[in-house]
Amino acid sequence: MSVTSESLPASSGGSPSRANLWRALGAWLTRSSVYMPLLAIGTAFVLGGVVIWVTSGSLDTVFLAYEGLLRGALFKSRGLSESLVATIPYIMLSLGIAVGFKAGLFNIGVEGQFYIGAITATWMGASLQGVPAVIHLPLTILAGAAGGALWAAIPAFLKARTGAHEVITTIMMNYIAFRLTEFLISGPFRDPNAAAVQTPRVAPNAELWSFHAIPDRLQDPLNALLVGVVFAGLAFVVARWALPRLARRYPGMGWAGAAQTLGAKAGFAFAVGALAFVLLPALTRLAWPFTDPYDRLHIGLFVALAAAVMVWWLLWKTTVGFELRMVGANPSAARYAGVSITRNILLGMSISGALAGMAGMMEVLGVSICRCLPLFFSSGYGFDAIAISLLAKNNPFGILLSSFLFGAMRNGADLMELNSGVSKYIISLLQALVLLFVAAPPIVRWLYRLRAPAGREESTAVTRGWGGQA
Amino acid sequence: MNTTRFMWRSGWITIVVVVVGLFGAWVLLNAVIGGRCDAACVVGSLSQALRLATPIAFAALCGVICERAGVVDIGIEGKMLMSAMTCYAINLFGFQVLKDSMGAEAAGSLSRLLAVGLGMLSALLLAMLHAVVSIRFKVDQIISGTVINILAIGVTGYMYRSFLAENLPAGPGTFPILNIPFLANLPVIGPILFQQKPLTYVMLILMVAVHYVLFFTPWGLRTRAVGEHPRAADTLGINVFRTRYVNVWIGGLVAGLGGAWFTLEAVDVFNPLMTNGLGFIGLAAMIFGKWNPFGALAGALIFGLGSSVTSTVSIFRPDIPSQIPQMLPYILTIIVLTGVVGRAVPPAADGQPYEK
Amino acid sequence: MTPALQAIGITKRFPGVLANDHVNFELERGQIHALLGENGAGKSTLMNILYGLYQPDAGEIRINGQTVTIASPHDAIARGIGMVHQHFMLVPPLTVAENIILGQELNVPATRPLGPLAVLHRREASRRIRELSHQYGLDVDPDAYVRDLPVGAQQRVEIVKALYRSADILILDEPTAVLTPQEADELFVIMRGLAQQGKSIVFITHKLREVFAVADRISVMRAGQMVGSLSPAEATREKLAEMMVGRKVILAIDKEWAHPAQPLLQVENLRVMDDRQHMSVDGVSFDVRAGEILGIAGVQGNGQTELAEALTGLRKAVAGRIHMAGHDMTHAHTRQMIEAGLAHVPEDRQKHGLVLSFSVRDNIVLCQYYQAPYARGVELQFPVIEDYAARLVHLFDVRTPGILTAVGSLSGGNQQKVIVARELTRLLSHHPEQDGVAPILIASQPTRGLDVGSIEFIHRQLVRARDQGAAVLLISAELDEIMTLSDRIAVMYKGHILATLDAATATREQLGLLMAGIVHGEDGADHNRSSIHP
Repeated sequence: MSVTSESLPASSGGSPSRANLWRALGAWLTRSSVYMPLLAIGTAFVLGGVVIWVTSGSLDTVFLAYEGLLRGALFKSRGLSESLVATIPYIMLSLGIAVGFKAGLFNIGVEGQFYIGAITATWMGASLQGVPAVIHLPLTILAGAAGGALWAAIPAFLKARTGAHEVITTIMMNYIAFRLTEFLISGPFRDPNAAAVQTPRVAPNAELWSFHAIPDRLQDPLNALLVGVVFAGLAFVVARWALPRLARRYPGMGWAGAAQTLGAKAGFAFAVGALAFVLLPALTRLAWPFTDPYDRLHIGLFVALAAAVMVWWLLWKTTVGFELRMVGANPSAARYAGVSITRNILLGMSISGALAGMAGMMEVLGVSICRCLPLFFSSGYGFDAIAISLLAKNNPFGILLSSFLFGAMRNGADLMELNSGVSKYIISLLQALVLLFVAAPPIVRWLYRLRAPAGREESTAVTRGWGGQA
Repeated sequence: MNTTRFMWRSGWITIVVVVVGLFGAWVLLNAVIGGRCDAACVVGSLSQALRLATPIAFAALCGVICERAGVVDIGIEGKMLMSAMTCYAINLFGFQVLKDSMGAEAAGSLSRLLAVGLGMLSALLLAMLHAVVSIRFKVDQIISGTVINILAIGVTGYMYRSFLAENLPAGPGTFPILNIPFLANLPVIGPILFQQKPLTYVMLILMVAVHYVLFFTPWGLRTRAVGEHPRAADTLGINVFRTRYVNVWIGGLVAGLGGAWFTLEAVDVFNPLMTNGLGFIGLAAMIFGKWNPFGALAGALIFGLGSSVTSTVSIFRPDIPSQIPQMLPYILTIIVLTGVVGRAVPPAADGQPYEK
Repeated sequence: MTPALQAIGITKRFPGVLANDHVNFELERGQIHALLGENGAGKSTLMNILYGLYQPDAGEIRINGQTVTIASPHDAIARGIGMVHQHFMLVPPLTVAENIILGQELNVPATRPLGPLAVLHRREASRRIRELSHQYGLDVDPDAYVRDLPVGAQQRVEIVKALYRSADILILDEPTAVLTPQEADELFVIMRGLAQQGKSIVFITHKLREVFAVADRISVMRAGQMVGSLSPAEATREKLAEMMVGRKVILAIDKEWAHPAQPLLQVENLRVMDDRQHMSVDGVSFDVRAGEILGIAGVQGNGQTELAEALTGLRKAVAGRIHMAGHDMTHAHTRQMIEAGLAHVPEDRQKHGLVLSFSVRDNIVLCQYYQAPYARGVELQFPVIEDYAARLVHLFDVRTPGILTAVGSLSGGNQQKVIVARELTRLLSHHPEQDGVAPILIASQPTRGLDVGSIEFIHRQLVRARDQGAAVLLISAELDEIMTLSDRIAVMYKGHILATLDAATATREQLGLLMAGIVHGEDGADHNRSSIHP
């Protein structure tokens, strides 16, 4: 499941020589869960290089292209932050797909849920004016999540009720979502004052703050209050997590008592929140690393990170996740154990859709230049997200890494095209190859003549067949 | 005995439902557009329905061929896209090479035929990938199909931006309409059935051929056995893997024909994503047709009729936002999948890798 | 005379198991040769090698004295070997004729050059099949659909399928598992007839009684080795049993007299439909009292599966009542039933009983994960769960590398122990007087496919549950199991309970007749209604 569960081969006694160390490292790497994904990525890049070589006719182009890709993704001005901007929706969408996969649902419809989430969030953001951010922003985020969740709940309901396979219904829901948003933007929800076909602009209080704007934002006490509340919440979670562990590690130091009472945790949380409320506005004024006004990196990054932790916690630490995974792994056994399949299909799909809807919400509230939904608001994130979650084997923390890889590639592609003349669409080819190799580890193993790992291969199986009852 | 009679009866019921449904659609259409759909408009709509049903029918047929052997093929969309791109490119550039050595007319015909062949081959390549990944390496077939789709989007997108987006020379255009002698002059039937482009005829012939192969030949019997109970077939000395491979390959060729329709019959351009979900709609048509070729054709025709009626509406009623009728085929697909039109039972081993 | 079939020194190794260890086997022409052994002894592996489904790692196969290699079923068929598998290898939506000719199709002569695309000659195929069925006394209708045929007829189709391929050597793998004792006797008559016409037959079984009824020669396998080969005259039941298991077998289990108390599970006139909307439980009534085991005997497919599913909330009852400790639970959900005290050892352990990709730990709390102390709010309490799982693994002697091992990697016996540990522990933690729950255990085919050691263990656990006051409903197709464990025996036939007998006085013959639908020696015709549906 995770890298840490693989034990490092202990170097038995004596001082290990350098060669031994390397061998141990190699052995650890080949057994670790990042090995196959890394091989897959490497192979995809090599094959992509061959394609560039063949279509351009020169080997230099290959190096020029990859050099440009790397520079564009990380080292040009705003390179890294633009990569992160692209990473955010990837994280949300692939988390959505991962939740679906774990519940045995293949949600190919994240793209559609992304659109619906974007439009409901825009509606909520634009229709209220003058409401403080501490209320408006959470409300808008919720609207995005609810839009995505509702859109995903339709195929979920149909699957639970009639067995209609979600792979086709969610794709159909995608096309319907495209047409629907198009209709809404150009018709009933069009901004009559704008020259371009687009929705009205969302209220400033519903925007997701850009990093460079944080010091200014915090001058409004209500905004600072929002930050204080968030910090208090975080502190509460940390206290809940840490106190029992401290109590176990250092018994008899009073930790155990604190772990049991709500008051200690709440007090700590309140203190941290209050401190943030008072100090942060002043501190960010004094010194703030993000000054570039064209930098688009926004606080949605934190939302995405929090979502990853939440999904991990939900799936592996709660009864809700236990049920979802049970339904995904063996629906018959879930029924036997008294778990409702219908409820969990609805729940799994709705969580999945909510995450996708939040991705759409963040693109409008944090990235879109007009802070609105333009007519040709295309993302194409959806299919990439499938590759990302498979690459990460549906592990939320793996998703953070893979999302960054894909975000960086997407962002670096422009400079690559400029640098080498290679079409930036080579990126989609690379990503498709990564997906192919990740989805079919036997191919990679066959390419490198690797032996299959002992024991059962963990493979991803989606609900099979059409419309059969689970 | 009993079943035979039942089939006869259900055949009549089907015909009655179809006739009533068509009439109902016509009445509804006239209600929407204010009674302006006369006889010529009806014939035109039906002819267009058959034309629009062609790619869906090819996709559905590909699905039937693969899934009767027990391999779910969700990558039809990708294969069609790949073939559409290849056909367009070959037609365009093949013509440039050929037109100097022969007349423009002959070069056009030859390059179009060449394009169909190579388009089918390109789809076959993807089908072979799907086959090896899902049959030999036993990867989940739905995931494998999704990989095919994404791969096709990547490849065609890259090729389009690199070679097909701008500065294109003049090409030979799409296939001309092929009037079948005598039959084309029949009233009503002629314009609907016999004044079509060649791929539509190919589709109709293939439907009959696949039905024959599936239900009247040893190969068909083996295919159906492999899709229902592969182990039983294996114990009788039938090579399950080979049967599946060959079916998936043939399915790929058929999907390639479907792709050719987009750039050699429908329009003379290639757009990324131009298949617009028709591959998936084809799967819905296949399910609607209960995995039978003629049933799949019926499903495809319903979708074709839906699209053709929508386009008629948008001609007569420009005030209705075009997006609303455009949603219709997708909504129809979902309705079909929910089994409102009767629950279909897929081949028992559909989607399951065979472990020897 | 050279033997029809000889296997010499066959060795086959699977990862971690030596399935066949230098096995020798000899089949004389015209002989019925019983191959005896318990589950996992290597009988099926040997036969699959003879039929070309597996390749041996070492050893030699001779047919009529000639050494041959059998690389595939195709080869086996070409050499005159036919096999009737335990799980029928028939394609349900195809007709009998299509099933029989599959792989060796008859084509219309004029179209033959088309190869696999030639036209099938259905009329000729039907004629050939009628001819064969007439010759060997096997009644089959070539134009019927296999999915409509009863089990016995499907078995005949399987035999005709082999004969159509001109098989001289027939391998029958556990052919009686799905038959009543009387149907089995009919099969034996057919087998005799085939042997008289020169066919040689390998008859695989683990039931001693049948061996004496039909075999000319008996070979016994144990743990991948051929233990010995003898004639029926030399064999006794005890001797064969000892050869099979390798030690003296206690054929009966020690158990005290039951002390039944108040009825905990009451079923009245229950009617349940199967997936094909066919009334497969048709007006069943019975009581199970605290402290007794009620056995439901019957040939598979007479409604037992649907009965168990209805009693556990997995299938809706069409009519009738289910009471648990006096409460009406007819329309309760599975979870409500579990909370009311129900425990269930399901028929299909891998499909229903376990999530194979989950760890032993997670499977141990599969039904209780949401209850205190295993969860607080929505948060799972892993330290508590792990302690509990470790305790059960120890108590029930589950052989696993650890509680975090995926249950799918355990052996069948250990998987079943995980289920039994989970269900019995939960069952016996209830105190009827205190919390108003009724300890009821429904055990469906609890020992299917297990080795003798695991069977004995699970039998002891069932008796223990009874002795601690649980009401136990045991559903099994193994008549021996029913007779050993039950205090009362109900026989189920075509959705009805024909009779309920006292286990102390019931005889095998009596039960066998009831299982075949024959009440009091009369013909069971009136119970045959609705047996064949259109």
